This record gives sequence, C-alpha cells and structure tokens, in this order.
Amino acid sequence: MLAFAELLAGLGLLFVGLKFMSAHLQQAMGRRVRALLKAATRSRLIGFVCGAMTGAIAQSSNAVTLIAANLVRGGVLTTREAIPVVAGANVGTSALVFIAAIDTRIAVLYLVGLVGCSYQFKLDRKPVQREWMGVLLGLALLFLGLELIREAPTTIALKDAAALLSGIGPFLGFGIGLGLALVTQSSSTATVLCVAAVQAEMIGLHDSFFVVLGANFGSGLATLLSAGGLHGTGKQLCFVQIIVRGVGCLVVFLAWAAAAAAGLSGGVTFSSISSGGTSFAISIIFLLLQLSGGLAAIAFLGTTEALARRFSPPNREDHVSRPHFITDDALGHVSTALDLAARETDRLIRHLPDLLPDLDQSGADDAKVRAIQWRGAAAIARATDVFLVELIDRQPVREDLDIALALQHQQGLIEALQDTLKSFADAIDSFPAPPPLAFNLCESLRAIVLELADTRGGSAAEFDLLIALTAERSEILERIRRTLSTAALGTAEEARTLLRALSFFERAVWLVHRLAMTLRPAANEANRDLAGDHLTRDEADAD
Amino acid sequence: MQIEREATGSDLVLKVSGRLDTPNAKPFEQSLLAAVAETSGRITVDLAGVDYVSSSGLRALLVAGKAMRAAKRELALRALQPQIREVFDISGFSTLFEIT
Repeated sequence: MLAFAELLAGLGLLFVGLKFMSAHLQQAMGRRVRALLKAATRSRLIGFVCGAMTGAIAQSSNAVTLIAANLVRGGVLTTREAIPVVAGANVGTSALVFIAAIDTRIAVLYLVGLVGCSYQFKLDRKPVQREWMGVLLGLALLFLGLELIREAPTTIALKDAAALLSGIGPFLGFGIGLGLALVTQSSSTATVLCVAAVQAEMIGLHDSFFVVLGANFGSGLATLLSAGGLHGTGKQLCFVQIIVRGVGCLVVFLAWAAAAAAGLSGGVTFSSISSGGTSFAISIIFLLLQLSGGLAAIAFLGTTEALARRFSPPNREDHVSRPHFITDDALGHVSTALDLAARETDRLIRHLPDLLPDLDQSGADDAKVRAIQWRGAAAIARATDVFLVELIDRQPVREDLDIALALQHQQGLIEALQDTLKSFADAIDSFPAPPPLAFNLCESLRAIVLELADTRGGSAAEFDLLIALTAERSEILERIRRTLSTAALGTAEEARTLLRALSFFERAVWLVHRLAMTLRPAANEANRDLAGDHLTRDEADAD
Repeated sequence: MQIEREATGSDLVLKVSGRLDTPNAKPFEQSLLAAVAETSGRITVDLAGVDYVSSSGLRALLVAGKAMRAAKRELALRALQPQIREVFDISGFSTLFEIT
C-alpha cells in the first residue's frame, strides 16, 4: 500500500515539477522566446535552432506550437517560416528525456539545498532570480518524482508488475504511449515515465520502443486537440506537428524493422549505438524520432506546407485576426510605431459594433460570423498590446512614452469592452425569441457603441455628448432589476438571463464611458494628432 | 413610416407614425435634417404613432439632435409610448432630448 502511495506521489511530484519548471522558465525567458521565434524567419536552419532552444526552454513542443500558431494567425510569422520552429521544438524537448536517463539522486540533494539556502538568504529578491529559483525547484521536484517512481516498484510486487507489462507487444505498447501522451499532453513526459519504468525493470527496451513511438504520435494528436480556439491558417501548424511526428515514427520504425530483417535485434542495435544502457537507448530513440521527422519536414518544406494547408485551409478568421497597421519592423522608429498602434486601436473601435447582434435585421445577423469577428478582434487587440509593451521596453522619450501608455490604457479598455460585448451577445443569442426588454437592451447598446465608433477622432464637443449619453444610469437599471425580480416572466431562466444581460449592459456602457473620456481630444491632445486619419463608417464597411 | 409636418411660426412639429427601423432610418434622418435646415425655431418630434424604435432610429434622432445643438437650438420629443420611452431611458437618449 505504501509503495502504491510512493508511486502515486512520484507521479504527482513529476507532474508538479514539470508544470513548475515550465511556468517559471517561460516567465524567466518569455520575452526571449518571442524574440527567438521572430528570429526564426531568417533561414530554415536558424528557425530549427530557434525552435530547439524554445522547446528546451518551454519543455513543451505543444506550447511552442501553439505560441507559433498564434504568431502565424497574427501575421508575425508565415506557416512556411514556422515549420522549422515546430520541428526544432520537438528536438528541444529531448533534453528532459536525456536528463531523466541519468542518475539524479545526488542532483536532487544539491538542487534542494541550493534552492532552500537561496530562499533563506533572500537571494530571490529580484524577479528574474525568483523565476530561476522556481525553475530549479521544479527540476528538483521532477527528479524527486522520478526517484520515487523508480524505487516504488522494488518494494511492491516487482515480478508481478514486470510479468504484467512484459511482452505487451507492439500494438498495445503503441496504444499505451499514445494514451499517456494524450493524458499528459506531452511526448517527453510520457517517455520520461517509460524511462522510469525501464530503470525499475518493469518493461524491456523492445516494448518501450513502441511505447515511445506511440507517445511521439500521441503528442501530435494532443496538440491538435488543445488547439480548439485556432482555425484556418492558425491551425496549420498543429497538422505540421502530426506530419512531423508521423514521419518520425515511420522512419525510426523502418530502421528498427530493417535491423530486425538483417538478423539484428532493434533493441540491441539501439543499445549499442547509445552505449549507455537501456535508458540512454530510449533517449536516443526519442531524439531520432524528433530529428528524422523534423529534418524530413524541413527538407520537404513545400510539401509539408501544402499538406498542412490542405488539412486546414485559410478562412475568414485569418483575415479578421490580422493586424492591418502594426508590424515589428516599425518598432525601430518610435513615432511611426505609435502612429500605427493608434490606427490599429482606431480600427478596433470602428469594428466594435460588429460584435453585437442586430435584432432589427435578424435575418442578416449570424452569431457564427460574430464569434469569428470577436476572436479576430481579440487576437488583434492582444497583438497591439504586445506591440505597445515592446515599444515601451525600448525606453522612448518622455513624450512618446506618455502616448504609448495612453494607448496601452485604451487597449485595456477595448479588450475589456470586446469581452463584455461578446458575453452580452451570448446572453441575447440564448433567447429563441428575445423578449421586449432584451430587444431594448440590445438596440440601446448597439446605438451607444455605434455612436462610439462614429465619434472616434471627433471633436471634444462630440465626445462630451457621448460621455453624457453613457453617464451613470443606475436608477433606471435598478428599477428594471426590481421589476425582473417580481414580474411574472415566462420562466425563471428567462429572468436570470435578462439579469445577466443587464449586468453586461451596465458594464459595457461604463467601459464606453471610460473609453470616451480617454479618447476625448482635450484629455489626450497628443494622441488625437496621432490618430488623425480616421476612416468613415462607410470606408470601415468596405474594410 | 409616415411624417406629417405642422408649422407654427418658426417652430415645427413632425408627427411620425410607423416603425423607426433600419429601412426607415435613413429617410427619417433626411427629413429631420431637412427640417433643421428649413426652420429657425424649435423642432418637436411627436412619436405617438411610433411603436418600434431600433438602434438605427435612435441614431437618426441623435444625428438631428447634434445638428440642432450645433445651431444652438433644441430638438424635443413628445408623446412617447411606454415601451419606446423605456428604450430612450435605457440608452440614455432621454438625457439628451427634452421629452414631454
């Protein structure tokens, strides 16, 4: 019983350690990860190396693929440029598998001692140092978890466990690896578990070969499953992962089969190549899977891209998710960059009415199209926010810094407004036929947001009108709330949805009010100059 | 939608009936702006015959209200049906117009 608890604790520590290490590594290196990914556009080799480094940093090819996919969706990278990054990221995750293959008992003791003393002597005062302490602690927990997993089976019925797992066969082994990768969302974690099982002599190299093969392919599927929010071009990299993993499995399996056909045992062959025991042989197999699949994808870049494009062709979301003005090239020239960020902000405001249902023309309104518009607008808002953070990091002169901070504040309000309008629209859409109050709330909010879209870039007097229009109205809304609580409505569910819609309405109006105050020329004269060339609503419709 | 005009000196009353929806919003806005240009006094929009107002209808009134403000004159509304009054209260438009 104690041994099972040890095994369970080992697994728990392994997962906690991995999460801890990955989260702190991303915090410590997050900005460098983005810089590394952007540097990937120079050549295939640089892309591959950058991918390997980011994979080693994030310890998750899944995470790197999704970050790269979002950059593709945002127009920072193309799918073609991102393929070597994804291929390299898989290789980077091999580092963890190799570390797991070595005897880590002494390392755990040193790591725990180092981290504990650092905390005691307050060496974690600076944020970066604190993150690195977190990385080391995560690594220590991971090693400790591995040790527990390795040791636990020796105290339980080792022979029984070994008998259960021995001769599991290629198909079952592949299935176990695939399942482990789907559950852990990581081929390296599944392989590390396999290494621990081999070290505990629960499983042989022949069977673990197929487990690792399954884990490799399962990780590609896991990436696709976790990319629920991505569509069109953004999803292409998930299919690239499956292609890379699938090709890797095929190449390594053929090599294994060729060795068998030549009268050699695949296991013996890999053991002799690694010359470091079974654990190292598994690490080598894992690395070969990543290298063969990755290098094949890079060598046949055009074919890989074409296949990914076929599985996930570009769609409407690609267009609406792409910033129209900001580009990383502009970051070198602060005033141009600020001008572009102001135009992007302006465009986001112009498209805010698109996020609301048009109940007056219900036949022309489509909730699915609105959902795409919202995802696209949210992606652009995030990209603009990142752009502004990078601009501020370059320490511009005071005047430019003030404008950048004002734009950043506006971005925050716009993002909050986008989300609130989406929640409000969802509440309204949930009615099969909106009751009169839902109609009145929706058309009122639409009129207010349309006024915001038309007022941007307007005079102080026009903004004053908008500020007056969106002023405090808690009295009327409170009266409606009371009525909803007491009136005989269709159903209780209807009343609850109306109350929810009312809350979102109130928040949206407050956000428009705050946004109008920050956009009002007298409040932000410099910003007004930047956002000078506003498009008319008709031009916006053509956009 | 129908609009009847009643002039009293320099003041004008526009009696509107029907729906202030998207198809009618543009003609309604043009009628209001024409009235702003033609008269020099107060304009009152009688909404007793209106039983439906959408965001487009609200915006048409707002455009006319802005034009009147620019001319330092007032646009008033009267005889709103209860459900129409609720739209004006919720949207905050009742704070921008004199409503009788």
